[in-house]
Amino acid sequence: MSDKLFETLKKWGINNYKIIDKEAVKEITLGASILATGGGGDPEIGLLWAYKVLDEGKTIVMIDPMDIPDDILVASPATLGAPVVLTEKPPSHEVLSNAISNLERYIGKNLQATIPIECGGVNSTLAYAAAGEFGVPVIDVDGMNRAFPELQMTSWVTFGVNASPTVSCDDRGNVTVIDTKDDNRMAENIARRVAMAYGGISWIATYPMTGKQVKEASILNSQSIAWELGKAVYRARAKHLDPVEEMLKSLKATRNVIGIKVFKGKIVDISREFGGESSKGFSLGKVKMEGLEDYKGRIAEIDFQNEWLILKIDGTTRCLPPDLIAIVDPETGEPIRTDIMKYGYRGTIILIPAHERMRSPKGIELFGPKYFGYKSDYVPVEELNREV
Amino acid sequence: MVKNVRIGFDVGGTFTDGVMLRGKDVLAKAKALTSEDVTSGIIHALDILLNSHKAEVAEIALVSLGTTHTTNAIIERRNLNNVGIFRLGAPATTAIPPLTGWPDDLKMAIGGEENIFIIRGGKEYDGRDIAPLDESAIKEACKKIKGKVNSIAITGVFSPIIPDQEERTAEIIRQELGNNIPITLSNHIASISLLERENSTILNASVITVMRKAIDALKTAVKERGINAPLFIVQNDGTIMSADYAVNYPIFTVASGPAASVRGAVYLSGIDNGVIVDIGGTSTDVAFIVNGFPRESSVTVTIGGVKTNIRCPDLMSIALGGGTIVKTRSQDVIGLGPESVGYNLVKLAKSFGGPIITTHDVAVAKGLVNQKLDVFESDFAPCIENVKKLDKKIIDAAYEAIKKRLEVAVDQMKTVAGDIKAIFLGGGALVVPREGLEGISEVILPPHFEVCGAIGTTIAEIGAYAEGVADLEIEDRNEAINKVIEKAKDEAQKAGAIRHSVEILDIEEIPFAYMPGKREKVRVRVKGKIFE
Repeated sequence: MSDKLFETLKKWGINNYKIIDKEAVKEITLGASILATGGGGDPEIGLLWAYKVLDEGKTIVMIDPMDIPDDILVASPATLGAPVVLTEKPPSHEVLSNAISNLERYIGKNLQATIPIECGGVNSTLAYAAAGEFGVPVIDVDGMNRAFPELQMTSWVTFGVNASPTVSCDDRGNVTVIDTKDDNRMAENIARRVAMAYGGISWIATYPMTGKQVKEASILNSQSIAWELGKAVYRARAKHLDPVEEMLKSLKATRNVIGIKVFKGKIVDISREFGGESSKGFSLGKVKMEGLEDYKGRIAEIDFQNEWLILKIDGTTRCLPPDLIAIVDPETGEPIRTDIMKYGYRGTIILIPAHERMRSPKGIELFGPKYFGYKSDYVPVEELNREV
Repeated sequence: MVKNVRIGFDVGGTFTDGVMLRGKDVLAKAKALTSEDVTSGIIHALDILLNSHKAEVAEIALVSLGTTHTTNAIIERRNLNNVGIFRLGAPATTAIPPLTGWPDDLKMAIGGEENIFIIRGGKEYDGRDIAPLDESAIKEACKKIKGKVNSIAITGVFSPIIPDQEERTAEIIRQELGNNIPITLSNHIASISLLERENSTILNASVITVMRKAIDALKTAVKERGINAPLFIVQNDGTIMSADYAVNYPIFTVASGPAASVRGAVYLSGIDNGVIVDIGGTSTDVAFIVNGFPRESSVTVTIGGVKTNIRCPDLMSIALGGGTIVKTRSQDVIGLGPESVGYNLVKLAKSFGGPIITTHDVAVAKGLVNQKLDVFESDFAPCIENVKKLDKKIIDAAYEAIKKRLEVAVDQMKTVAGDIKAIFLGGGALVVPREGLEGISEVILPPHFEVCGAIGTTIAEIGAYAEGVADLEIEDRNEAINKVIEKAKDEAQKAGAIRHSVEILDIEEIPFAYMPGKREKVRVRVKGKIFE
């Protein structure tokens, strides 16, 4: 372990921490990809980056949010832009540290830990890779416990913590400081256009906040939730258990929520609404699945706006945002993503109640059905699926 | 003399099948044991065919094969090239260098990490340079690898759309290291997704010599037997490419066996859409045919522990074959496989006087297997009295279990509502139930079903594809698509097709998510004829 990291933990009086090795990175990545509800991008990049940091002999450590001092400064390293560009153009090894050090310069204080912005294949693991490179710990929290397409869609904003100042960098060393004070949608607008100018993808350091704000406004222990979920799937694979059952058990154990298995089928139609990217800033579309086995003869329709958003089965609404829709391969538990799904994919649909901090009135306003352009009021997934 | 005879081979795990055809007439069939070096097994099968004297060597117009040479070399880490690895993309991409995530033994087998160079260069999706190509760094790298590597892999960011920098890099390397060193460019191998394309490109570079040697050996063998005909290799999508083209793209042959089976099934049955059930000794592959070609898998294909994005058929393999062991306790069936007696069927199965109940014995008892296939040496049940002694309850239960397993696999692969036609083929085709299968409207057992893959290799259609990015705010959609179509036709021509015979198989448009603007990726797949 690096001396700096060790000294930090000692200074904060933290004896309980988790060492994140390759096995852990793999498990967290899978768990986070499932919670990413079809979005979050190709997890391979974040995973391999964290592997490389570990291969260089650096240490990644995760700590509990309740153990951190109130006055420390933390922020979220993340990527924002088009997943397809990310897949073709992985980052420079310096780009995240460039974003972080420029944020430090703008604020005039050093960053003392990282916080993942969301549960997504890429953005979860990035916080770990950056923490390893900087010799700081990762805090066991995030801002969504799922993935959402826009910068401002976090529990942090619902509690009055702002994305600004955000620093956005590219591989060439270009740096943009975005400071929109408390206008978080404006921060998203600018960040999105900066990413375009960079060539489709940007690397950001965002949501600088204090330890106290982390405790008050984050989804607490969300990394552990993803980690346990990933472990459950790997365990199921090794022991030839049903991965879906193991996922549901894991969510019950970590969050005390009942995940609901509502459908098993295969994709028989995908309609992508072209141009949604420019008019609404989303990839829009609808997927139709036909039931298999116990669900034979039934039809599931899922709307997506980058992530899975709304589920109807035989015409009845069964899930609305911010509650989670995960579609996973029935045999392997591997999540199916909106950017790579195809005709013929087989999947089991699981619905998971969103974290309570995402379900506040402010949260429903920021990322409920109406924000995404639907007329319906938000109804919790438990109520929509009473009979199951 | 009219040249109208075609010879095809399909190399499987246990057997190498061969066929000789004139038009649709099968003149001769052969089954030889697959040899460790693969090539001598093919030559053995070739000799069986020629010794049948059903055609003159001068009549042979084409020799074609589906082969496991490259797959075996990669999986066994044998005879691989030392690869010089160039990535064009710095200052981007350095967070994840080439070979990250590869198994250590495979890394070592291709010369390790010393031959990796991340060069300044690469493109943005809109055509801008990430950085101008650093030509002096390429020359510097060549000095370091001279004499240490015997194959080169070059991967540039966004090269599938703008290949110029990869081509320029190859030019410089040839100047420095000579014209003989084989060079693989990633834009010829796979599409967008840098790390997986780079993996595919490096793997391709690592089996160049294996493929060259195999093709040289076969060419020599063919020539020594007086055959004057071109050699073709089946690609993963079921089309074929000329051997001279294939020597540079061995990675396109990793799934050539299953792909050939699908093509053979289409050819023999005349059915363009349906499921193919290819039953071997140990396992059954279920594939789906769409317009005569195997449906493509859209998930990452892992070869030898390395993630790639090469295009392969969407297959579901289940542990059910002609030699699958039926497990019993007293009068109950408690399991079906996954173990198989494999080619020891003739020693171990009840029908052959052995101690083990297999799926073959269940089929014999049920009257499903009732003919001797001429490619097999032994009769189907020399000890039929052993089978007659088997408990009827066990036979019925096993029959139901086999049927259920097959039905579930077919149902999982189907993408259309309603019942569909199924084509059964492979050496174990007779072993599985053919009546009353749920979800299947009709089972077709085409003639020569036991050598279907070998026949599939002889169907002379060249396949190729190309892709590009269209910006629909400034370009006309049709024009943009036409540009990609022309590029695909160029590729087909290079692989041996007659240009004016090239037709479009499919056009795919994928919008870029998370981006304002109207950009999309266009991919076009084409096929063309070799003969007029």
